[in-house]
Amino acid sequence: MNPRLLFLFIGSTLLFMTCEEEGGRPAIAEPSDYTFLRAGNSTVDFTGQTTRILMAEELKASMLNFSATAGQWQEMYRNEAADGGDVSPFASAALNAATQSIRSKVAASADYFSANTAGSARIKTQFANWLDAQYAEVFPAQGQVAAPGIPGQLADGTQARYVSAQGLEYNQLVIKGLLGALMLDQMLNNYLGVAVLDAGNNRLENDNATTLAGEDYTDMEHKWDEAYGYLYGTAANPAKPNLTIGDDDSFLNEYLGRVEDDPDFKGVAGTIFAAFKLGRAAIVAGDYTLRDQQAAIIRTQLSKVVAVRAVFYLQQAKQAINNQPASYGGAFHDLSEAYGFIYSLQFTRRPDAPAPYFTGAEVEALLVDLLDDGPDGLWHVTPATLDTLSTTISAAFGFSVAEAAE
Amino acid sequence: MKNVLICCGLAFLFACGDDNTNTPQPADTFNRRDLLTNWADHLVIPGYTDLASELTLLKTATQAFTDAPAVGTLNGLRQQWEVAYLSWQSVALIDIGKAEELTLRNFLNIYPTDAAGIAANAESGVYNLALPSEFSRQGFPALDYLLFGLRETDADLLSLYLDPSLGASYRAYLLAVTSRMEELVTTVRNDWSTGYRETFISNDASSATASVDKVVNDYIFYYERFLRAGKVGIPAGVFSGSPLPGNVEAYYRGNLSKDLLLAALAATQDFFNGQHRGSNTRGTGLADYLDERQVQKNGLPLSTVINDQFNAARAQIMTLQDDFVDQIAADNNALLTAFDLLQVNVVYLKVDMLQALNINVDFVDADGD
Repeated sequence: MNPRLLFLFIGSTLLFMTCEEEGGRPAIAEPSDYTFLRAGNSTVDFTGQTTRILMAEELKASMLNFSATAGQWQEMYRNEAADGGDVSPFASAALNAATQSIRSKVAASADYFSANTAGSARIKTQFANWLDAQYAEVFPAQGQVAAPGIPGQLADGTQARYVSAQGLEYNQLVIKGLLGALMLDQMLNNYLGVAVLDAGNNRLENDNATTLAGEDYTDMEHKWDEAYGYLYGTAANPAKPNLTIGDDDSFLNEYLGRVEDDPDFKGVAGTIFAAFKLGRAAIVAGDYTLRDQQAAIIRTQLSKVVAVRAVFYLQQAKQAINNQPASYGGAFHDLSEAYGFIYSLQFTRRPDAPAPYFTGAEVEALLVDLLDDGPDGLWHVTPATLDTLSTTISAAFGFSVAEAAE
Repeated sequence: MKNVLICCGLAFLFACGDDNTNTPQPADTFNRRDLLTNWADHLVIPGYTDLASELTLLKTATQAFTDAPAVGTLNGLRQQWEVAYLSWQSVALIDIGKAEELTLRNFLNIYPTDAAGIAANAESGVYNLALPSEFSRQGFPALDYLLFGLRETDADLLSLYLDPSLGASYRAYLLAVTSRMEELVTTVRNDWSTGYRETFISNDASSATASVDKVVNDYIFYYERFLRAGKVGIPAGVFSGSPLPGNVEAYYRGNLSKDLLLAALAATQDFFNGQHRGSNTRGTGLADYLDERQVQKNGLPLSTVINDQFNAARAQIMTLQDDFVDQIAADNNALLTAFDLLQVNVVYLKVDMLQALNINVDFVDADGD
């Protein structure tokens, strides 16, 4: 044999051997993008998640349409009538035809709510109440300037913001709350959890590449993709979503993009996408330990994204309140976003336990603190309170207030 | 510990000794009160006084037109609108005191104007122009629409203002808009002569709430957001990918966007230099502050670098067509070049100047949602 060929042969053997793990299984490479095929057909599908994101987008827009009604929003939220009948509340015919709804997946994860239906019901009702309050309290005040204890509009730069008597924008509470109660909860506590990934005969079927009837994917593959869809379901290029991260929805995608733009957290979008790809490849290869390691990375990182935004908005609001004169419109907009992000903290997921960084009760306490510096909620909130809340949240996640503040 | 830090600092400075931006600066002995006094007495108060006068004339012209809509009264009103609009550009950069409290700029010059909202307001007769939601239905841009855009031809426009059913509604709306503009600016003007001038000048320390820190922040915010982006960048499509000719200032009048930009640019440069309004006299400005601090950039005084950059931007703008709508259609790259030249001074003002004057930026880029 040509000595050079021999050298190449030895070299490639060595290379191959170093790629083997202890158990003799070949190491799983992280794919370059989120493309997975079986017999030439894509096995990736998350249309249900895309549908729910789009439903939430329509609800978001409608909440500032002053000719809409609370009844219409409740139909958009449930995608059915109060009596369960069919409705067509959306502008998009595809959404009207869809069987999914926002409400059915709010606070509905297997890990957090399968044995906590009372908690789930309370959260589902909270969103319905915010929708009603926007219509009953804020809309009639459309034509007046807000003041302590009086709903109405406030200037935020060149824009008008519409706030409650306490200074809250209910539309922001709904949007940022859904980001946690719908998207984050479904992703971290449902689809990335073993209760769902390994449900029924999922492992056996996945090991044997047994696909679901009429589909090209196994159930486990599909569950992982459904988690993926809540973050990247409206991406311009779903196989390479980081090309447009931050621009593809008004929910998790948008705010992952914002945190990625903060130099203190740069790289988080890459870390999360890498974990999604490698975890999916691990499922294809049947390596469930590696899969769960990737799920833990996603849980930690996306939970942190929500916390960083909560602290960011608290700190932005502090600046606006410290302005002379105080910019209440800007501050209340920031604090309404912060309120929603804090609300979403109860759907985060610790890497070390099946629990959030802040429980529902702890979140309630934080939100009470935000509103109880005086009789009229945000109108009286002090910079000291905003700093205390910021410190409490950032300490739990191990970043500094300063890192999140700008 | 402090000594150690200073030693380290000195070592760092010596190591970087050939980079003149790190040269140790003399202690700040600049008299900020002179600067504030010059701005107040020779730029701000004369600017508001002129604008208030022009708006009084605008109201008179509106009254004449609404009393007797005709070609003559219409043209008189249009001319006075143009004069007042140009006058506004000299004080648009001031956002302190009563102007900040009232958010004067929001009520005078938010564009593109909301044509449908103006029609709805006028025809229903139900509106409250004091609300934030009405920013884009009043001020100079609303008049631009009401005087130039409401109908295709002048004959049709006059017919509308004379219309038995709708005419009175539009005449009333015109009067409401011009009255409000005059009232707001007069309020701001009078505040300066009833105590605010002294408040402004005596707040001459160096802190986040001091007059110099605030007014310079407002100045840079205006230059970046309203001049660079609003008048040039947004219409040229810098932030949207494709040009937005509908966002050109004075869109319905046409042929005025270049003059408005040049007036605004002159005002920002005069403010920088302390150039007195309507005279060749130069008083104390930011340029003097930088010169006293001996601030250098690329081997030149920073004040010279900034003035050169203002002049370079102006030279490029002079080459543009009078109407940026036409410029966008013919050669948008020329408008983009103007944007780029304006952008360079954002960096000089916001980074180099603020560092040298020890002023912290008090605004952040809004996240836009």
